[in-house]
Amino acid sequence: MRAIHLANYFVAGCIASSFLGWVASLHPMAARAIAFLAAATFILWGLCWLLDFSVSSWLKISVQNLQALLLASLAAIAIGAGVFLCS
Amino acid sequence: MQLKMWILSATAIALWLAPLSGLDKRIGWHKFIQGLSLGAAVSCAVSAGNIARRLAEENEIETIKTRAITADVVDEIAVSAYVSQQQRQQEAEQILATDEQSDEQETELNSIRESLELLLNQVSNDSGELAVMNLSTRQREQIELILQCHAKGISGKNKILKEVWGVSAGSSQNYRDAKAEYEFLMPFVKGEL
Repeated sequence: MRAIHLANYFVAGCIASSFLGWVASLHPMAARAIAFLAAATFILWGLCWLLDFSVSSWLKISVQNLQALLLASLAAIAIGAGVFLCS
Repeated sequence: MQLKMWILSATAIALWLAPLSGLDKRIGWHKFIQGLSLGAAVSCAVSAGNIARRLAEENEIETIKTRAITADVVDEIAVSAYVSQQQRQQEAEQILATDEQSDEQETELNSIRESLELLLNQVSNDSGELAVMNLSTRQREQIELILQCHAKGISGKNKILKEVWGVSAGSSQNYRDAKAEYEFLMPFVKGEL
């Protein structure tokens, strides 16, 4: 049941990523805003990956869990964006 | 609840993939439908995730409850086993103490009786008849048997002890008791002779 719960949140992340792609396709300004958001997210992602020990102690989770979370979020964004772009 | 979760998950995936692959992005209302379905798909997926999380927590709570109940039952069984063992031990100790007490009392009564018999025999030693009268039936029977042994020509002390008391010469308590009784009875035997 815990795996299903995590899988559902993962699918929600994928769909949200597709939704952001759809928002970006509405208007060039929206695309810029989403691009800025994506860049900020990517920088934040990289910082979290580099400062994993500090971030894990701040979030009070283990380093393994943080790394799993970061990889899952990256995969969800990539899958969501990929699905939207390929459709 | 599980069925709801599965339906929500399937709906989320369907609402995510079907409009994106089936509708044309260049047509305005198609695009609008795609946005709506993506929003609905996100909400369905999050709802399904929440339900699954709640079910997982309930399962964990059930597991903890089951473990606690099992631990309680095991603890109760162990306590009852300990209590019954202690009770049995106490009962056994009480029985042993009673046996020891009764043995001691019996030994004491025997010694008192023997002392009284000896005292009575010594007091009435002047009259042989009276002394014989004061002897117990068993002692009189033993005198009789000793006399029969003498009549048969058995004269050794150990032989008489073997014949009358059934004890062999040695250092056993039975032999010593028999010897003491024999020595006590000898004057009466001589009186009979």
